[in-house]
Amino acid sequence: MSAVTAAKDMEFKSEVLRLAGPEMQTCIQCGTCSASCPTAHLMNPSIRKLVKLCLEGRKKEALHNETLWLCTSCLLCTVRCPRGIRPKAVVSALKDIAEREGVRGRDASYEEFFLKQIKSNGRIAELPLTAEFLLVYPQAAVQSMQMGLELISKGKIAAKLERIEGRDEVKRIVEELRE
Amino acid sequence: MPTGVYVCHCGLNIAGVLNVEDLKSFAEKLPGVAVARDLQFSCSDIGQEQIQKDIAEHKLDRVVVAACSPRLHEPTFRRAISKAGLNPYMLEMANIREQCSWVHMDQPAMATEKAKDLIRMAVAKAELLQPLEPESIPVSKEVLVVGGGVAGIAAALDLADAGLHVFLVERRPTIGGYMALLTDVFPTNDCSICVLGPKMSEVYNHPNITLYTYSEVLGVEGSVGNFTVSGVRRARYVDEKLCKGCINECASACPVEVSSEYDFGIGKRKAIYVPYPQAVPLAACIDPKACIGCSRCAEACPADAVRLEQEAQDFKINVGAIIVATGWQPFDAARKEEYGFGRYRDVITTLQMERMLNASGPTKGEVVRPSTGEIAGSIAFLQCVGSRDATVGNCYCSRICCMASLKNAQLVKEKYPDTDITIYYMDIRACGEGYEEFYIRAQKLGINFVRSRVSSIQEEEGRISLIYEDTQNGEIRRAKHDLAVLSVGLEPDSNAEVLGNLLGLSRRPDRFFEIAHPKMRPVEAHIDGVFIAGCASGPKEIPISIAQGSAAAAKALKLLHRGFLELEPTSAYVDPDKCIQCKLCVDICPKKAISVKSPAYVDEAACKGCGSCAAACPVDAIDMRFFSDQQILAQVKAATEVKREFPLIVAFLCNWCSYGAADLAGTSRIQYPTNARNIRVMCSARVDPSFVLEALRQGADGVLIAGCRIGECHYKDGNYQALQRVNVLKGVLEKVGLDPGRVKIVWCAASEGEIYAQDLREFIAELKAMGPIGTELKRRDGGQQPDLAQPGNGPEEGEKP
Repeated sequence: MSAVTAAKDMEFKSEVLRLAGPEMQTCIQCGTCSASCPTAHLMNPSIRKLVKLCLEGRKKEALHNETLWLCTSCLLCTVRCPRGIRPKAVVSALKDIAEREGVRGRDASYEEFFLKQIKSNGRIAELPLTAEFLLVYPQAAVQSMQMGLELISKGKIAAKLERIEGRDEVKRIVEELRE
Repeated sequence: MPTGVYVCHCGLNIAGVLNVEDLKSFAEKLPGVAVARDLQFSCSDIGQEQIQKDIAEHKLDRVVVAACSPRLHEPTFRRAISKAGLNPYMLEMANIREQCSWVHMDQPAMATEKAKDLIRMAVAKAELLQPLEPESIPVSKEVLVVGGGVAGIAAALDLADAGLHVFLVERRPTIGGYMALLTDVFPTNDCSICVLGPKMSEVYNHPNITLYTYSEVLGVEGSVGNFTVSGVRRARYVDEKLCKGCINECASACPVEVSSEYDFGIGKRKAIYVPYPQAVPLAACIDPKACIGCSRCAEACPADAVRLEQEAQDFKINVGAIIVATGWQPFDAARKEEYGFGRYRDVITTLQMERMLNASGPTKGEVVRPSTGEIAGSIAFLQCVGSRDATVGNCYCSRICCMASLKNAQLVKEKYPDTDITIYYMDIRACGEGYEEFYIRAQKLGINFVRSRVSSIQEEEGRISLIYEDTQNGEIRRAKHDLAVLSVGLEPDSNAEVLGNLLGLSRRPDRFFEIAHPKMRPVEAHIDGVFIAGCASGPKEIPISIAQGSAAAAKALKLLHRGFLELEPTSAYVDPDKCIQCKLCVDICPKKAISVKSPAYVDEAACKGCGSCAAACPVDAIDMRFFSDQQILAQVKAATEVKREFPLIVAFLCNWCSYGAADLAGTSRIQYPTNARNIRVMCSARVDPSFVLEALRQGADGVLIAGCRIGECHYKDGNYQALQRVNVLKGVLEKVGLDPGRVKIVWCAASEGEIYAQDLREFIAELKAMGPIGTELKRRDGGQQPDLAQPGNGPEEGEKP
């Protein structure tokens, strides 16, 4: 059996440390963060492993995952960490880096489509938004089929795209926030 | 004032680099010098005899030896001159070996010039030396031990056996501390009270021990050798001598039942009670908060020992030393809200587990679920509750909890082999003789270990449910148990704060009492005559607490056994006419040696001569008997009298670290430029800002101050004080138009010769970039400013920051 050498990117590590704080280096991998996380069961890697990946400079694994986009920012990890590390800040740092480098997870793409509609129409309509998203991620249709049908049957899915007044202002707000 | 100057060849160590002949003829011409000689080995018998002969022949009243470091041979020459009838303090040494010939081996000419300056400085200081007499003061041969836990008991017994009288003061109604409450103890699982109990009785019966239980220290005055301690013996409402300790007669009559502090909330006691059957003294006491005054106990007592009218008694004792063994208190588990202690009855602490396992405890040794009273079939131990946890401010490891849980798990498993036990741990710390073997034993007994830190506890369907990540396989899990035991950490006893403030003890960031040196002085406090043993200075196991108690006893014995103390005559003293009673010195003295009794007064027994007060006094009312202001200023003046090189640096080095580092650079033959003229001071805090200003005024291009590394001051925090003064001083320099970079403060440990040399090289480079002193003034004023290098021509800089 041969051991695999992981690619290490120490520049990436320093950047995460700069954004999330140097105390991150004191992590003892106790798992309090993951065990406190309400969405931990959906995450892979867990938030604990994510911190370790960053400290080892394993950039690719740290950025290309859904964990980042599943964080609800509830801050339980940060409140409970016995070392005073802020795992939530680590997630935010990774999101920043992903954004900068154009790494998009599924949820990030959804957010992108969502903002696009807001920018041009001032509001969203569920059907066109879902359609646009499913074109890129057709596999998501299987997961959300049942819920979608239920929502349609209760008239909760708007099919028609409406535009609001003052769209220019909304557009300006969105653009300013992006900066 | 005839001075003799002796220039040592030290074989070729000095003479191989410096022109000793030249130095001798230079010294001869210095003012006040009656005789100057060069000696092959001045420390040899022949060398010493020559000095003694000259003292008699030339009627010398002071001697300068230009040779090695005073840290090496000052005691030798002091002895030599005192044999010839001189006061030993009439000696000054010029360090021309470690700090000259050995570090400038490739520049003999400049080194010889530097050596001349060093000799001139030594002669100038010698001229101002005063004979000093070491004073000896009588001391009390009695010792106060505060805290009757296992550390205090060990200290008291050792001292008492050695013949000193001990006052043992304990806050609770019984001695024994936490150890007396434990069940079996690791790593041998022997019964705790069975090994401690006999020691407790020995204390009670020892003719050299006066035991004050249920008592507290309320006042401490005086200093090493002669402390006056006052305190109070609280009322027990029971005559200690008459009470037979029969326990049940009074308590069974008492109608009031409250939670027992000795069972940590899982057992009950009456308002009149004996803490536990092995208590010492074995006498009941009444809890005045619980007692309703019904007198039923008094009626029930067969010995007629109840005294409801009893009052607290003050005590006042004189002791020579104080041993602080105030111990610890358990972390309050309710602070970790996510674990539900206090909310869920089946979440308990280590100490409650200890009491349950204890055969004389509230459950008579049965391990039950408090909610149902049934035997617990499945038990979880949660490690590091209140330790290694920044969220509660306790970053330290409590050291004993891993072993305590391993032990309790073993005891449960032995008693109930079918119990399912899991220890949730981050790291198992089993460092000690037989400890790792103890861990292996627990593993072999079938106890489960899960590397995790439980995030929260909930109660589900009447059971305790934990959530954790098993970090070894990365799974987030939920586990159900009947009982969860929180391994609570150790915190300093909050009741000890009063005593700490009375004695002026300092605390580490972890809030435990700080010891004088983290390695070399493990049981000494910063205050002379005060020792710290056991958990008062941090979490410790029983054997280490006992070792520390005995160590503190040995230190106290060494201090007091002769009945007198010889004081180094190097202390500070106050000029009462100048003192304005501002109390600045009182606050900064690291030894709490100064009090203001109109005017300020220095307790010379407590003073260690660091000189920070002399540097801080705004009206120069305080001076030192050795390293006086006048002596140091004379050295500064002599160092700058002839300016042969640029940059010329006057360097103040603290005796303990930086001067040692400079000596080490010499013994390691680390080579550096000759620019510095070193002045030894006891502490970097001794450097009065006026010394620095005077050096610059006299034409020095820069002033270097070197102290121990931050946090390692030999007095306590002198280097912080020095740093603060230097920062203020830099502001002053800027105001008068000088570059603040001309004053530099550095830290080097005595082991850091290379760092000292490097700091000096860097400073020289910085000063070269600045140019000679006054360059910046000329630049500012277009060349109109008078040359500062000419003594007396500089701007008035007499103001003191």
